[in-house]
Amino acid sequence: MADTFIIETADLRKHYDGVEAVRGLSLQVPAGSIYGFLGRNGAGKTTTIKLLLGMARPTGGRARVFGLAADEDRASVDIRRRTGFVSDDKDLYDYMTVAEMIRFTAAFFPRWRADLEQRYLRAFALPLDRKIKALSRGMRTKLALLLALCRGAELLILDEPTAGLDPAMTEEVLQALVTHVAAEEMTVFFSSHQIAEVDQIADRVAIIDRGRAVLTGALDDLRESYRRIQLVFDGDAPEPAFRAPGVVRVRRKGRVLTVLSSAGAERILDEARALNPVSVDVVPVTLKEIFLETVTVED
Amino acid sequence: MLWYKSWLETRWRFVIGLVLLMLSACGTVLSYPQVVKLLPLAPTVQVSGEIGRRVSEAMELARTYRGFVWSEWFRQNMLQTWGLFAVLLGTGGLLSQASGGGALFTLSLPATRSRLLGVRAATGLAELLVLAFVPSLLLPALSPIVGQTYGIGEALVHGACVFIAGSVFFSLAFLLSTVFSGVWPPLLIAICVAAVLRLFDVVLRDMSRYSVFGVMSGETYFRGGGLPWLGLVASAAASAAMLYGAVLNIARRDF
Repeated sequence: MADTFIIETADLRKHYDGVEAVRGLSLQVPAGSIYGFLGRNGAGKTTTIKLLLGMARPTGGRARVFGLAADEDRASVDIRRRTGFVSDDKDLYDYMTVAEMIRFTAAFFPRWRADLEQRYLRAFALPLDRKIKALSRGMRTKLALLLALCRGAELLILDEPTAGLDPAMTEEVLQALVTHVAAEEMTVFFSSHQIAEVDQIADRVAIIDRGRAVLTGALDDLRESYRRIQLVFDGDAPEPAFRAPGVVRVRRKGRVLTVLSSAGAERILDEARALNPVSVDVVPVTLKEIFLETVTVED
Repeated sequence: MLWYKSWLETRWRFVIGLVLLMLSACGTVLSYPQVVKLLPLAPTVQVSGEIGRRVSEAMELARTYRGFVWSEWFRQNMLQTWGLFAVLLGTGGLLSQASGGGALFTLSLPATRSRLLGVRAATGLAELLVLAFVPSLLLPALSPIVGQTYGIGEALVHGACVFIAGSVFFSLAFLLSTVFSGVWPPLLIAICVAAVLRLFDVVLRDMSRYSVFGVMSGETYFRGGGLPWLGLVASAAASAAMLYGAVLNIARRDF
């Protein structure tokens, strides 16, 4: 059966005052997935999310959420009615109390989950009568998450949900998220530059660099298909031109030649052996290594 | 709930404005006996130039309670204080909340930007309506204390003139708040515009009844010439145009 895509972008572009924040981004987020949107700071993650939620207008291409055009006013309202969102700054209304903030948000969502609200209030130990401005960063994040999770949404869009949290708080938030998604039928699209948390909870991933998706796919497939082939030679390593497809990057350092392959490691291996190395090692690659190899290092 | 949010965001400005205007209305009424005592001294005041002319005019108007109330309250105290709070209530909103004020959270709600803006404008205008009428209605209520009477109808007419014409300052600040991201630039620009208009009003006295402040004070009505319909309609149209401009501005804006 063909995948139903909750989010689809095609050649999506956004220019801000001469800066190309998003440059021809094409994504497909299947229903029911936990989709990690990975990129360095300034890669275009937040801009993409703003385009999906109608907070910014694309300068080119298209973005559809639930099959609705994200840049059309009415459709955008429908998208937001069916989407829970946590922004990277976790900014809420400082002048409201936690209880007021919850009551205010609930009024916009007919499918508001009062049962989940009670559950997360207890789990996160949120003080109902405290003003938002008096909440710690961690508490603010938990409240923002509660407000997103209780909307009865079909899609959660989270922009750097754990930014600024300590490891214990990060773990707590991620666990809450995973537990929630396991219990509810929903799609999660979350951006992060924390590779470990994407590795921990995502089942699909897109790596974005300078406004462009440089890698997309199921995390398990990526782990399965990516390999690092390390060849050690007697003397200086040669400069081979591999003909086999799937070579992502080749690095030479002294006697060592390292090849990163995204697919077809066997064929590359055949070519590598023809170079008569002293030793050949093929090792699996972590998401962190894939990420570091696929994003362009800027000076 | 957007109403509630707008109310929470503006309530202190509104409450302070209401208290100040009510105190000012009380002060105007209660000061009348002192003014009456000073009236016999009026012919001895010899000041030349514009100031002398204005003093004489004020003294002349103060010979009747109606004239005193109009001159002191509707033409001066209320006009300036209400105008200031119109600007204060017009500032703020989505753009100024873009950094640290929860604008992204607001924009993530299933509400169109025009609705967000419309509710904020309506809340501000409702508050200004209260600021225009409640202190004005204190005048007829308090006048018996100083042995005078002041017509409720007159207070309502002047209150309506202040509200309708003065809303241009609210709308100007509202429009500027969709152009500048900070709170201060819209506030300062709108106050400067109001100050310049007020200066023209003072300098070009012959034209003053056609100025926005002239329409706000309801001078033609006070002098028996009827309501300044043209000025009221023009002010309302200018306000509506600026509010519409604000909606268009926010609709095309990226956050």
